[in-house]
Amino acid sequence: MAARDKIEVVINGVREVVPKDITIAGLIEIYNERDGGLIVEQNNRYVFPQRYGSTIVKQGDRIEFINPDFGG
Amino acid sequence: MNVILTKEELERYKRQIIIPSIGKDGQEKLKKSKVFVAGFGGLGSISAQYLVAAGVGSIKVIDKDVVDISNLNRQIIHWTCDLGKKKAESGLYKLKNLNPHCNIEAISVELDETNVYGIIGDSHIIVDATDNLETRRVLNRVSLEKSIPFIYGGVDGFSGMVTTFVPHETPCFDCLFPFDIKKKGAIGVVGPTPGIIASIQVMEAIKLILGIEGTLKGRLLYFSGIDMLFREVKVEKNPECPVCSRYRAGL
Repeated sequence: MAARDKIEVVINGVREVVPKDITIAGLIEIYNERDGGLIVEQNNRYVFPQRYGSTIVKQGDRIEFINPDFGG
Repeated sequence: MNVILTKEELERYKRQIIIPSIGKDGQEKLKKSKVFVAGFGGLGSISAQYLVAAGVGSIKVIDKDVVDISNLNRQIIHWTCDLGKKKAESGLYKLKNLNPHCNIEAISVELDETNVYGIIGDSHIIVDATDNLETRRVLNRVSLEKSIPFIYGGVDGFSGMVTTFVPHETPCFDCLFPFDIKKKGAIGVVGPTPGIIASIQVMEAIKLILGIEGTLKGRLLYFSGIDMLFREVKVEKNPECPVCSRYRAGL
């Protein structure tokens, strides 16, 4: 993959290089996030699950994968 | 209703009343308020005690379970001498002794669609202390239908999260958690995790009652005890939420 086809982002606090124009759905697949209840945060904003396939990740984005807590 | 604080109550709540944003008026507002706590487990053990200690006038707690020895690492309202007792009975005894000025009710029944409306009644705030998605969805619907703020809290291991859902103003529980996930079975929890999350829930409840700004409306706060970090995510109404969109449309 040529450098121009990649972007640098921060995922769960770690700097990572990922393909340019990748979607949140693509990232979930690459990072094998299997939790059915996964919460995704992009630059401190919650991403609605129905938009994972259409939300493009941009250079410098901060992405967090958060596993929800439902215990009491 | 005119609520008068007794001399003993003025002394008991003195350290709250001297806070300028509370004062005697705020303490009277707390006394007039009615809060429903859904669960007497790890979260409910803490939230019920802080609500009662703060002088919330009416508190109703529901839990169908009995005290098990594996509860005692975190459900600190229940003690070794309570093993085998109903949590409602064990918790009620402690709360009544903590503050005899509160009107406290504890019910030993499973909360479901058929009884939830009657049980929540005219409560002003719902504090989530449940341990499953299904009951939270039931509480969310009641919150939307009756326009009662719903303070969500959840824990798992060393981490937890909390936010305040205010009907028609913020997203609802189903906006944020639209998925169905399989039950994991028993999850691990260290005692301080529900201690931290339930304390934040009660802080939210007190601020809502007193009308103090800066609550977690539209913000999901999550805590990692492993990294000792608090972070927050801004959350908005999900335009495709099948639950609250019904109420938005007035259906």
